[in-house]
Amino acid sequence: MIEIKDVKKNFGRKKVLKGVSFTAEKGEITCLIGINGVGKTTILNAITALTPIQSGEILIDGEKLHKGSYEKIMFIPDAITMLPSMRIADAMEFMNDFYDCWNEARAKELLQFFKLKESDRISDLSKGNTAKVNLLLGLALDVDYLLMDEPFSGIDIFSREQIADVFTSHLIEERGVIITTHEINDIEHLIDKVVLIDEGVVLKEFRTEEIRENEGKSVVDVMREVYQK
Amino acid sequence: MNRYIKLVNFEMNRIAKLYVVLLAVTFVSQVVGVIYFSKHFLKQVNEAMTGNPQNRQEVIESMSPLSFDQVTETLLFVGPILISITAVAFYIFIIWYRDWLGKNTFVYRLLMLPTARINVFFAKLTTILLMTFGLVAFQLMLLPFEMKIMQWIVPKDLRIDASINAVLDRFVELRIIFPESFIEFILHYGLGTIIVAIVFTFILFERSFRWKGIIFGFVYGFIAFMLLFSPVLLNELVLNSYLYPSEIVLLEVVAGIIVMACTVWMSHYLLTKKIRV
Repeated sequence: MIEIKDVKKNFGRKKVLKGVSFTAEKGEITCLIGINGVGKTTILNAITALTPIQSGEILIDGEKLHKGSYEKIMFIPDAITMLPSMRIADAMEFMNDFYDCWNEARAKELLQFFKLKESDRISDLSKGNTAKVNLLLGLALDVDYLLMDEPFSGIDIFSREQIADVFTSHLIEERGVIITTHEINDIEHLIDKVVLIDEGVVLKEFRTEEIRENEGKSVVDVMREVYQK
Repeated sequence: MNRYIKLVNFEMNRIAKLYVVLLAVTFVSQVVGVIYFSKHFLKQVNEAMTGNPQNRQEVIESMSPLSFDQVTETLLFVGPILISITAVAFYIFIIWYRDWLGKNTFVYRLLMLPTARINVFFAKLTTILLMTFGLVAFQLMLLPFEMKIMQWIVPKDLRIDASINAVLDRFVELRIIFPESFIEFILHYGLGTIIVAIVFTFILFERSFRWKGIIFGFVYGFIAFMLLFSPVLLNELVLNSYLYPSEIVLLEVVAGIIVMACTVWMSHYLLTKKIRV
């Protein structure tokens, strides 16, 4: 389980996170929702120690993040994390060199799943295919948790569908996923838990199944209620 | 250790193209320089002999024979060395900033590698050192070849042959790059390594705190340099040259080790606790 406990973060005088707390379970998809600039990406960066926090605590399976944690948790940002000059094969080789948890067989499977070619150079890829490579490099790691920042951002509908298919496949099951997205309709049916964030605080945290079954509402309905209050 | 070596290998591959260009520019420029200068000298000799072809000895005596250290003072020879030094100096910054800036965000990948983040620092430092040593070694290998070219073009009675050491002795600036003794090597390159490490720490301050980091970086750099050169400064300004040179060298080595240790510790702290993407 990933536990975020009362995390505060400032950028200069601006308080971006004002005591955010929530948990994300293994085997579940947790979606962070909020308008631009509310601190969703900052939370993901903080979980992976890519930005320091002012106070609070972040635990991954009860432990603070350390160098070995990157064999357990992987962040897939919305921009490519490999050199544009690399071919997909080079990027895969890089991952294989550095990560013990790299699963070459799954990487090959993902290549086919996304219809990508190993010989393609990253700089030559479309935005959709770049997002797929980014996803491939994260998903091919045998990690317990995946953090995804806007995986559907700025890409065409077919690529979005293809990426959304990943969430229903065996490529995700058993893993804990924290995802941020504005394209909630694409994955609403796949999400287990939603954390609504605004102005650096968690406004509401709920399980989608509960609100669907008990209140007959969709995630978007709850969002409207909370944000338009 | 294994991942550190892989990182060094990766960083070296990233500069391979630039590196080959630097080596090629050095080779072409210096060889062309040697050929041009030798031919130009021969032309001058021939012009002096025009109208007086019988008295070759007289002409030789009236003109100073060509020595290789004259060639080393030409722009075509010094130019590529200066270009290489400038390239390495720029690369000290580029090696960090290219991972943050531009289209890619490779810094995410570097900081999320399952290895101590200080290995990224050491790998980049090692790359700069290997790059420098490689260029120096290439220059050292090139020197006898260039001397041979001069010997092929200029007849024996019109030139002075000198050893590489003698050439380096006459060109003081080259002596910094090619130290005379092991102690000098340790001092020159040790000092160079510490300065590069301090600049790296400055960059990490900037990457951690942005504008404020520049001020922190300058303050850290100033303190580090003061500490680094404190034996020399104290000896000159306070002790009225009381210490023997060997004692200053020893104190400099101790100061260097302290500054390097502090710099590595500070960089480790910044990389693990303060850095942001």
